Amino acid sequence: MPKVPNWQLGREMDYPYERGKPQRQFAAVFNINRCIGCQTCTMACKSAWTFSEGQEFMWWNNVESKPYGGYPQFWDVKLLALLDEANPDGQVWDTSAKDAQNAPYGRYDGLTIFEAAKKAGARQQALGYLPSDKEWRAPNIYEDTSVSWSQGSSLPEHSTWFFYLQRICNHCSYPACLAACPRKAIYKRAEDGIVLIDQKRCRGYKKCVEQCPYKKPMFRSATRVSEKCIACYPRVEGKDALVDNEPMVTRCISACVGKIRLQGWIDDEKSPVYYLVRKEKVALPLYPQFGTEPNVYYIPPRWVPRPYLEQMFGPGVEDAIDRYSNPSEELLGVLQLFGSTQRLIFSYEITDEAAIGFDEKGREIVRVPIEEPVIVRPPQHLNIT
Amino acid sequence: MAWWATSYRKATLLLFGLVLLAAGLLTVFDLRLASSQAITLTANQVIEPVPLDDPFAAVWNQASPVEIPLSAQEVTQPMGGGSARAVTARALVDEKRIYFLLEWEDATEDLSLASQEAFRDAAAIEFPSDGGQTLPSFCMGQTNAHVDIWQWKGDWQADIDRGFASVAETYPNAHVDLYPFRDDKTFYPGWAVGNPFSQRERVSPVESLVAGGFGTLTSADVQRVAGVGRWQDGRWRVLFVRELAVGDDDGVRFSLGGSTNVAFAVWDGSRGERDGQKSVSQFTDLRIGREAESGGISTGTWILIIALLSGLLAALVAASGWFILGRGRRSP
Ligand code: HEM
Ligand code: SF4
Ligand code: SF4
Repeated sequence: MPKVPNWQLGREMDYPYERGKPQRQFAAVFNINRCIGCQTCTMACKSAWTFSEGQEFMWWNNVESKPYGGYPQFWDVKLLALLDEANPDGQVWDTSAKDAQNAPYGRYDGLTIFEAAKKAGARQQALGYLPSDKEWRAPNIYEDTSVSWSQGSSLPEHSTWFFYLQRICNHCSYPACLAACPRKAIYKRAEDGIVLIDQKRCRGYKKCVEQCPYKKPMFRSATRVSEKCIACYPRVEGKDALVDNEPMVTRCISACVGKIRLQGWIDDEKSPVYYLVRKEKVALPLYPQFGTEPNVYYIPPRWVPRPYLEQMFGPGVEDAIDRYSNPSEELLGVLQLFGSTQRLIFSYEITDEAAIGFDEKGREIVRVPIEEPVIVRPPQHLNIT
Repeated sequence: MAWWATSYRKATLLLFGLVLLAAGLLTVFDLRLASSQAITLTANQVIEPVPLDDPFAAVWNQASPVEIPLSAQEVTQPMGGGSARAVTARALVDEKRIYFLLEWEDATEDLSLASQEAFRDAAAIEFPSDGGQTLPSFCMGQTNAHVDIWQWKGDWQADIDRGFASVAETYPNAHVDLYPFRDDKTFYPGWAVGNPFSQRERVSPVESLVAGGFGTLTSADVQRVAGVGRWQDGRWRVLFVRELAVGDDDGVRFSLGGSTNVAFAVWDGSRGERDGQKSVSQFTDLRIGREAESGGISTGTWILIIALLSGLLAALVAASGWFILGRGRRSP
């Protein structure tokens, strides 16, 4: 099996194919701290892509309440258990082996889902399981269920807590869905790294459903083939006349009421996403230990006990929360760009007054003040009834 | 008694024993034939019509069944299968068509893959595609030597028998207010792009495919194989039928009196078998026509009959020899 570099793990790992680096890689940052769990993103996706027969249970975007919730139910707990079974207590990091470019979080010394499958002698490419119908039934089961109950909580870690985890397909650099498909019906686009299931080649084997650790491909009985989040590729390609055929962010990202989402390119130094993930390291991959190099990054919730966050986002958690809690001028500025426009921001500039976003050609597409001006309502317009 | 008479009797007994031994061996050998790959499946020629809708029809008594051993697929990922240990194959041919009948044991009848976990039973026959210079690998062929595959699928059979299963049928308790643009293919991409799995009108439960290596399997442009599968008392019987005369690009060619190779595969849906996870055979010889005149008696059986007949003949010779000699001795 070829060896491929995985910067999130700070080392090389086994993957059935050589690295095929796209021209640029679709990526997004979700700020968990800001999410209000309204599911507007979930409905935005559903009303765009999954309202037809056979898609009733499909939520390409879903928001789940952690730690108890999951869609499909217990997906992450089950995966972590499988990993641990294959390599008991071995999922550890060496944080002394850090390197800003190739190992920003240190080196992962445990097994990925590909390596664990090999070790366990599995007759498939990656560790995985097929969720039952029952497990798919709710996009946010255990909604708002917190751990324990206490009289009041305070930072840095609340004793009563839950948080929302917003999930779409990660358009992984090393997709397990793609590795799992014996027909090569799943492909990663060279132009933007978006991962798609070829609807003509798919024969409904459900291998991707079984082996995507994030459980984002789903089987559609009305067409007997699998479907998954398409990163709203027609929008990313700039096919919408509404914005003069310029690249647009996805439906779930643009619809977000809490303005928690920002889309960009993970490998373009000018992109605000690159800044947040690679420079400021305030946004972290979800379950990097699975080894797929996922491309949706999260600013971890600052009130949650660190051990829980670390098994979920890796050893970068403490630093990320620290930077988020004491933001630099640049970080404050970039945070203003979240949810500020439907257009895709390729580069940005932070001045004393404003955060400015530019399109691919360097034209300004959005300007957000760093500090909102205070406007005092004149007496004749007082809002008193 | 003359010395030569005694040895004659001994020789007769010896011959008798040898013949019996040979017959016994051949009986065993006949079984062993089926478990090695030196099996020949012969498509016997028939005159009576072969019903296209009944895999249990009496005409199948005229076929010579061969038992083909199957084993789990352990060559490439994803591996699996192995639950079906053998498939009984029969073949018939007439002026117009060639017929194959596969029969195997399976405790459950799995006809649906509608839910997230369900898989269907299936069976397939594989032939080297025409024009190949080299014999393809029985494992899905290779780049320079393709294989033709005919796959029967339990869910396609159910589509034909009961219509394409809707979500409402699969989940009778589910409630849906409205499907916007219900019949607009745009919102069913598999259907819109012509994926055979997504098509709602099915003509045959058998799909014709071509493959030239792992991951290259593709539905053939021309679909000409008909068939039917029926499950009864823990056994599947699946019939595959195709015209002998087909166009240049319409798949593998068969000719009366000709021969080719054939391999088999079986999937057990309730064990999650699909794709490479299946029970497979290697290539076996397939002979078309001629031997048909045997009228339903298999080669093995013929060998046995000939052995017994020669045994009987030898016994007769011996008995008459003894009689003549005995009489000769008594005479003064
Ligand atoms: C040990 C030898 C074999 C190997 C390693 C093998 C491997 C595979 C693999 C990897 C796939 C999935 C990839 C794809 O769809 O292109 C597959 C599918 C398939 N193979 Fe094979 N194969 C073998 C023998 C056979 C034989 C002998 C037949 C037919 C008699 C056959 C018929 C099929 C069919 C019909 C499918 C599609 C399965 C489905 O729809 O679930 N294979 N095989
Ligand atoms: S999240 Fe799952 S479906 Fe999406 S690219 Fe990664 S492995 Fe594939
Ligand atoms: S990116 Fe588009 S397709 Fe994917 S979850 Fe968001 S809205 Fe749905």
